[in-house]
Formats: sequence, structure tokens, C-alpha cells
Amino acid sequence: MNTSGIQTLAAAIVVAAAVTGYFVGLQSPMNPVTNTVSQRRAAPAHFEEQSEQVVPATSYLEISKLDLTGMIGIADLSHMRPRLDPDQEIKIGPEEKTIALAAREKNRAFNGAPPTIPHPVTELPANSCMVCHGEGAKTESLRISQISHPYLTNCLQCHVQQHPEWIAPEKFRENLFVGLAAPTAGPRAFELAPPQIPHSVWMRDNCSSCHGLTGLQGIRTTHPWRKNCMQCHAPSAELNQMKLLSSAPSFLPGPEIEDASATDNAEGNNND
Amino acid sequence: MFDSERRQFLKSSAMAAATAIAHGSAVTLPIINAAEEKSDVRWDKAPCRFCGTGCHVQVGVRDGKVVAVMGDRNADVNKGLLCVKGYHVGSALYGKDRLTKPLLKRGDGYQEVSWKTAINVIADRIEAAPEQFAMYGSGQWTIPEGYAAQKFMKGGLSNNHIDPNARLCMASAVTGFLATYGVDEPAGCYQDLDQCDVLIMWGNNPAEMHPVLFSRVVDRRSRGEKVLLIDISTRRTRTTEECQHYLEMKGHGDLAIANGIAHLLIKNETCDQRFVESFCNFKTHEEENPTLHGRQISFEDYKRLLEPYTPEKVEELSGVPAAQIRMLGDLFGNPDLKITSLWCMGMNQHTRGTAINTMVHGIHLLSGHFGRPGDAPTSLTGQPSACGTVREVGTLSHALPGGRLIADAEHRAQTEAFWNLPEGRINPTPGAHTVAMWDKFCTPSEEGGDINTLWVQVTNPGQTLPHLNKLFNPLADRGKLKDKFLIVSDIYPTATTRLADLILPSAMWVEKNGMFGNSERRTQQWFKMVEPPGEARDDCWQTIAVAHQLHERGMAGMKDRDGNFLFHIVNEAGDTVPIWEWEHYYDVNVDEHLFNEYRQFTTMKHKNLAPYSAYVKARGLRWPVVETEDGDWQETRFRFVEEFDPFVEEGKQIQFYHSSTHDDRAQIWFHPWIAPAEVPDEDYPFMLTTGRVLEHWHTGSMTRRIPELSRAMPSAYLEINPVDAEKLNVKNSDMVLVESRRGKLELPVWINGRGACPEGTVFIPFFDETLLVNNLTLDAFDPFSKQPDYKKTAVRLRKL
Repeated sequence: MNTSGIQTLAAAIVVAAAVTGYFVGLQSPMNPVTNTVSQRRAAPAHFEEQSEQVVPATSYLEISKLDLTGMIGIADLSHMRPRLDPDQEIKIGPEEKTIALAAREKNRAFNGAPPTIPHPVTELPANSCMVCHGEGAKTESLRISQISHPYLTNCLQCHVQQHPEWIAPEKFRENLFVGLAAPTAGPRAFELAPPQIPHSVWMRDNCSSCHGLTGLQGIRTTHPWRKNCMQCHAPSAELNQMKLLSSAPSFLPGPEIEDASATDNAEGNNND
Repeated sequence: MFDSERRQFLKSSAMAAATAIAHGSAVTLPIINAAEEKSDVRWDKAPCRFCGTGCHVQVGVRDGKVVAVMGDRNADVNKGLLCVKGYHVGSALYGKDRLTKPLLKRGDGYQEVSWKTAINVIADRIEAAPEQFAMYGSGQWTIPEGYAAQKFMKGGLSNNHIDPNARLCMASAVTGFLATYGVDEPAGCYQDLDQCDVLIMWGNNPAEMHPVLFSRVVDRRSRGEKVLLIDISTRRTRTTEECQHYLEMKGHGDLAIANGIAHLLIKNETCDQRFVESFCNFKTHEEENPTLHGRQISFEDYKRLLEPYTPEKVEELSGVPAAQIRMLGDLFGNPDLKITSLWCMGMNQHTRGTAINTMVHGIHLLSGHFGRPGDAPTSLTGQPSACGTVREVGTLSHALPGGRLIADAEHRAQTEAFWNLPEGRINPTPGAHTVAMWDKFCTPSEEGGDINTLWVQVTNPGQTLPHLNKLFNPLADRGKLKDKFLIVSDIYPTATTRLADLILPSAMWVEKNGMFGNSERRTQQWFKMVEPPGEARDDCWQTIAVAHQLHERGMAGMKDRDGNFLFHIVNEAGDTVPIWEWEHYYDVNVDEHLFNEYRQFTTMKHKNLAPYSAYVKARGLRWPVVETEDGDWQETRFRFVEEFDPFVEEGKQIQFYHSSTHDDRAQIWFHPWIAPAEVPDEDYPFMLTTGRVLEHWHTGSMTRRIPELSRAMPSAYLEINPVDAEKLNVKNSDMVLVESRRGKLELPVWINGRGACPEGTVFIPFFDETLLVNNLTLDAFDPFSKQPDYKKTAVRLRKL
């Protein structure tokens, strides 16, 4: 990195700090939490134990240790984005789609279930999620998806971590639930017609969260310069629950029972 | 693409203990195609199986199995959102160890028996000693299930030994409402959460326990609305993190805080004079033999009783600084703000639970923060039908349906009339409440334990009863308990089935028809969508089948006045449907018949319900539901308020029409601060509090079989303050021995765990059946509600 690069970086850091500070200022119109008895939680002890192995930079986990009282706000990560040609057409092979769908399946119980969290979380305010997921970002090694429902603020209500760092689970009970698979494509009226959206758009109203830059390669849009997605891709009324109010459920017919009386008779003398 | 084996593998591979990977044939899952005329996934509405919030879900069923769950966008409660438990509720049906056959204990093991045998075994036990039989039910019973059990016990067996687990969770809320308004259940509804300016949570952690309701509040901020959140609690939780104010109190500090607020309202002359003079009386308890009626006092008496509760005195009693008590006093004293109070187990699992419930109602009434949308004291329930099945159907040892009491001769006569029973059939003596019931069952017969057969449905007392070593699994000589017989209907093996003599496999949730009643008076209905596994059958059928077996054997109580079977149902053609035979149980809609019969009971307390068919079309309706001129059924959002409640007389504005003083007034109670039943001392220096976590519901019998939830929260733990951890020289995952005067438990440490305890307090969640915290808890209970206190146990800790 040459000198001007370093200067740019330094300038970027100063600007980022200023921007963060600005947002932090904006973010705390609510009075800071007043606690007159116990102090804000200290860092969990297991962070200390690992100190020898930890690189002396601030890791994600250690953010909670920093003295950033009140500094949990929404930062702007947009400067992290690589410069891309927004008009570049994206080509996606069918195998890439398979890979993307398989990756999605790994962290959700069925298509439509909230994905689980692939990294450790702390018990900090929920809007700490927004520091990264508010904007989303993509680097060589990391893909941070952008929230597609920013009006819902209690993230950990639906998204849970799968590998708690504090204790190794011994056993889990088995479950045979088989979830609904993701659709592989939306239906089209004819070959070149824009496909219909094959999933609910409720809580998924930011299409670019999955289909944009930070989405998995196999399900990205091939035409990222188009921004008004629903102009061409229509949602499904059924999946959006638009017609359910008018259709009342009905009482199902009785269950079919296989030879219940036969079993009872065969074993009837049990009660003697 | 993804065949079932592969998906199966993905799920199973995460389970460390998975030794056998179960999979069916390699059927390729069809791809869902939204635009196709005929989608192969059928979606239907149902309330969520878990908590008392009462979210509606859309259940996706394909090939007879639940494959997906969506939040129901047309549901007013949750408006399309769910919590992580709700999204995964479908998996609760498919734990590999579902009970599928009746199992009878033979020697040390169990033998599979037929349903006929199982029903006969129960009938034998009941026939031998009907008065020594008891039923222990649940706020997870559907309304028709609870109603059938209620009618079978009180109407059929003339036996009042029926009580629900809800006794352990909201009995004090009931006595609080009765003592204040003369009638149970909240006057407000969830709309209060959308409109309040201030939300005060009293020992409540809705961020984890009622997440959808909590989101309903905090998401207002993303729309630019301002809402002041105040957390009064004994430990920091996820809720605290969203609150502007955190008031950390000692156990029972709430009693002092409520009195402190009332003291300030009077001292600052910020009471709502007009409201109090028009709509309230003042009361305190009698000197001897206190009752829910108490004795009436004047405003001057009330003022004098509150005199000592200065902010400084309250600080001393509660640990909350006087300045914050003044802040609460100022908020309540401001008539322009709309204030909602929320509470759940913190105020209910309390040896002064009735007192603190009435006192929180009291400060809302005294300050006039009542009756406007957003101004409400609201208690939440933890179970999906604690309100619907327990509080409304009255499946309690002292109650009859529709707010009636066993002890009231007129109420008994009305009930006998509705049930078409001969006069005097209902036993006038209340039965054993939960703690007494299990005490009697666990006391040897020769020592006076006069309950010898106990049938548990839809709950897990082996994990939830307090002081388990006394009330469930007594440490005393088990030989003396040989003549006791425990029957358990459940869906999975649990801490309760491990001591059962007969285990019955039950159908759950959308494997059966059902109705629930949630925390905001909303009655909800759903239809059966999938078949239960193996020979699992509806709990309601189980009760009716036993009743019919006793009827066959000539037990007179199983007949009504006309000689018909208690659960006599005819079809449209007028023929009797033998619903006691499983093959014919779904020939008619038994739920509809039972519900429409039960409906008659609901008008006395103005808790009017609509006919069953109205609930089929709705995402629940809040009672009282009244018929409009054009034949629609109109629900009620805010009770006792003229603008909203059809039963308030014109011009009254606010009318507490079930007032216990018969003058349309609510009662504002004074209760003194009283120390908890157990406080830390030299021998047991820590205060243990228990509760739940977001991922697990109740005893975890369902959620601990859901991989996504188990992985997120694998086991119970001891949450401890870092300072205490340092003193004990323990770090995360170290094992400690926790001992109370009643039992001990070894478990891992989590310093500042999900919540954060202050020094001297520790927390253990109760969901883990392998680490039973109720071995430690105490069985002291509230004198009025008989609800035990799970939140304050003195313990000592030792590093292992």
C-alpha cells in the first residue's frame, strides 16, 4: 500500500468514526439505561482465558469488552464494499444454484423458517446485529447478509445461535421432521417470461438481501442494474396469505383406523 | 435435487447422539410451485401450541405431515410474526420417541397393552374408590378437553379433586382480578401495547417469554414512535437491554414499590380524584382469617396505612433508589401519559401473589390509568389456554364453569341444570388444590394420603411441581406407596412418565381438533390436519372412553337425569354417535358439541362466547362476544368501558358490573410489605430464582426435541454474577453443587448467562428434565391462590 493509500485509509477511518459518532448520537435519544445497582455486564470470563490465542485486534466477540458505553449504534459499512460495475451482467450456472440452495438448507428447518445464526452472539442489545446486518457486506471470505425486514427489531426472537460457546452439549433427542424444500425456480407463463416469485414476500421485501450483491452467488439476480423487481416479478397471493381470510378451514373426515377392534380383542385377556 | 435422505442426514448429523439415522424410502420431495392451480401443500390456521400469547400460525401440510409453518398475517395478535419456537412448532410432532402405544407397568418394565385394556385398568381403579381418584390437568388442555374432564369429575364422579398446572402459574392473577374487579381476566387487550406511552414490566421478561408481544412494543420505535420502557426486576434480562430504566429490586421489593407509588400519588395529590370517587372503594385484609373480600376502609384509613411507605423506606425494603420510586410516582401522577403494566410469573409465583396483583391494579385505579386504550394493568399467561380452559371452564378444585364456585349452592344448581343432572349431584366441598393433591398422593394411605389414583393429562408435574422430593418423588420408603397408581397421558416420555404406572399416548395440537383461550380473552379454534402417530389418541376421547366404560359397568353418576350417558351426542339424523369408540370419535365434531354446550355457562359473568361456527371463520374472538343486529358476532376489546363494552350501561363511562361490593366499583387494596418465605442467611447465602429461556417452552418436553432449539440452548445452567464466580473460584462450564434445604443439584456455571444476576442472586432455568431445579424450590404458597413461589429459594454453592 502506498502513502496515498494509507492516507485514504486513515481518512476513511476518521470519516467512519465521525459517521459512527454521528449515528451513535442519533441512536441515543432514548435515555441511556439507568442502573443504579449493578454495573453493565462484564465480559464473560472465557474470553479472558483464551487471550493467549487471540490476535491483539478487536474480534467480533470482544466488542463487548470494549469500553463503548452507549456506543452500540448503527454503523455504516457501505465504504467496505468493493467497487463493482453495477451494470455487469451476472451469469449463474445451474450447479451454482444447487450449491446456493443447499447452503440455505443447512441453516434452516424448512423453507421459510428463520435461518439460524452461524456465529457467536452476545446478550447485547438487539440492534448490535444492525452494525453489520444493517447494510450487509461481502468480502473475499465473508458474506454478511443485509436484513430484509429492518422494521422488526428484536432479532434474537427468531434467529438463534446453534453452537453456544459456553458449554458443549452432550446429547440431543432425535427428530424426524422433514421440512419443505426451497423452490428451485418460479413458474413462468412461457420461456422468456419473467418468473413469478415462488416464496412469500412478507419479511422479504428487500429482494437484494438474498438476490443482491451480498446474496449467495447461485440465487443472485442476473440483472443487478434493475431495481424495481416487482415491476416484472409478481408475488404469489397464496404464499402471501392474501386469500386466506375468505377461505375458511373445514372439518376433516374421520381418521381411518386399521383394525382397531382386532388388536383389542387379541389382547383382551390382558386385563384378567 | 434434495431427496429426503439427504435432508434427513442434514438434520441428524447435527445430533451428537444420533446412533440410528432413521429414514424412509428415498422419495423425492416435489418442488412447491406457487402459481400452480393445485399446490401440494395445504395451509390451514391454528393457534401456536406454545405460550399464552396466542399467535396464529399457518400450518403447511403435505402427504399427511406438517412440513412448514408461517406466521398468520391475518391474525391480529401477531400480524404475521412468530418467535423461534413458533416457527419450529411443526417439528414438535416428530420427535423420534413419540409415545405410540399404551404402556402398563409390569415389574420394573412396561408392557404394551391395548387401549381397551388401558381403559379398563383406569375404570377398575376409579370403580374401586371413586373418591380417592384425582385428575391433574393443564392450561394446555384444549377447552373441550378441560370441559369434558370437568364434567366427568364434578358432574359424573361427584369428585372435586381436579386441578390444573395453571395453579402453579396464574392462580394469583385470578385472585388478584377477583379481589379487585369481582371477575377474572384482564380488562384490556394487546392493543394497549400499541398505544401506551409507558410500559412497566413487573418481574417480567417478555423479550424471551412473550417475544411477539415484546416486538409489538419495541418495533414501534422503528416507526418513529416513542415508548418509555421500565423494567422492575431481580436480574437483568434481554428485556432490560431495550428499557430506558432498570429498577433492580430484592425479592418482594414489588410490594414496597407499589405502596411507594400509592404513597406518592396521595402525597403529591396526583390521584385521579374523579375516577376514585366515582368508581373505587378501598379495602384491606381482615385481621383474622383473611378472605378475598377483605374489609372496607375509608380513603383516610388507606392514606394512613400508606404513610410509612416513603420513597426512602421503599428504598430500604426493595433496594430500588428513592429517586426511581419518585420517577414512578411522577409517571403515574401524570394524567397525560398512557401507562400499561405487564406481569407474569414474577408477580404470580409469589407467596404474596394475590396482594401484589391487587396492588398493581390499585395504583392504576388510584391514578386513573385505566380504561383508555394504552392505560391498563395486564397480566400475561404462560400457557396457551390457561385462560380459556382453566380460568373460564373452571377446571380448578373450587370452581365450576363460567366463573361459578363449588361452595355456592346456587352455582351448583345452575351447573346441574345445564348438565341435566339430578339435584345434589355436585359435591359441595372443594377438592384438593395442586400442592395438597400431590401431597395426598405422595403420603402413604395409612398416614392419611387419601388420593390413591391420579390421572395426569397434558402436563409434566414430575418437573414442574415445587419441592419435588416431597410432592412427586418422595425420598421416603417407596414401599409404603405401593397402592398408589399414577396414570399419565402424554406425547413423549417425561420426568412424569418415569414414575407412571400407566402411560397413555396422546394426540397433540393439529393431530386433533382444538380450541384455546389466550391472555387477552381471545378464544381460538383449529381443525385436525394430520393423523396422530401409532395408536396415539385425543385426551378428550380418553376421558370420554373411561366415562363410558364406567357407564357400561353401571356407575350411576355417568348418567344424566334422563338416563342418558353424560357425553351423549346425536348426529344430524338424531342417532347416537358412539364417540367412546375411537373409530367413531371423528364421525361428529365432538369439540363443537362440547363447546356449544359449555357456551351456556358463559353469560353469567358476561364472558359470552359465540357459537363454535363463528370461531371457525375468525382468527380468534375476544369475549364478551355478542350478536349484532345483522347476525355477526362482535368481540370486545376493552371491558368495563362504555365506549367498547356492550354490557356497560349508558352514561356510566366505567362500570365494574361484577363488583364484589355490588356498587359497580373496583376495590383498591392495601397490603403491607412482607418478607419472602425464605431469605438468604449464613447457611444458605444465595437467592435462587428460576424461570424460562426464549428457546424452550415449559418443561422442554416438546422444544428439547426440536434440533434448532436444542442446539441453541442445550442444557440448564447456573447463571451467576462475575464477582460471586470469582469468590467461588469458578469459571464458565465448571460444575457447582447447588444445595437448598430441600435438595441438591449439580450443574455447569454460566457467568452472566442469558441474563445477568446481581451479586448474591443466581438463576437456573427449569426446562431441563435432566437437571431438575424443582428439587431445590420451596412449596410455600400464597394463602389465597395456593400458588407456590418458585422465585425465591435460599441456596448455597460449592465448587466441584
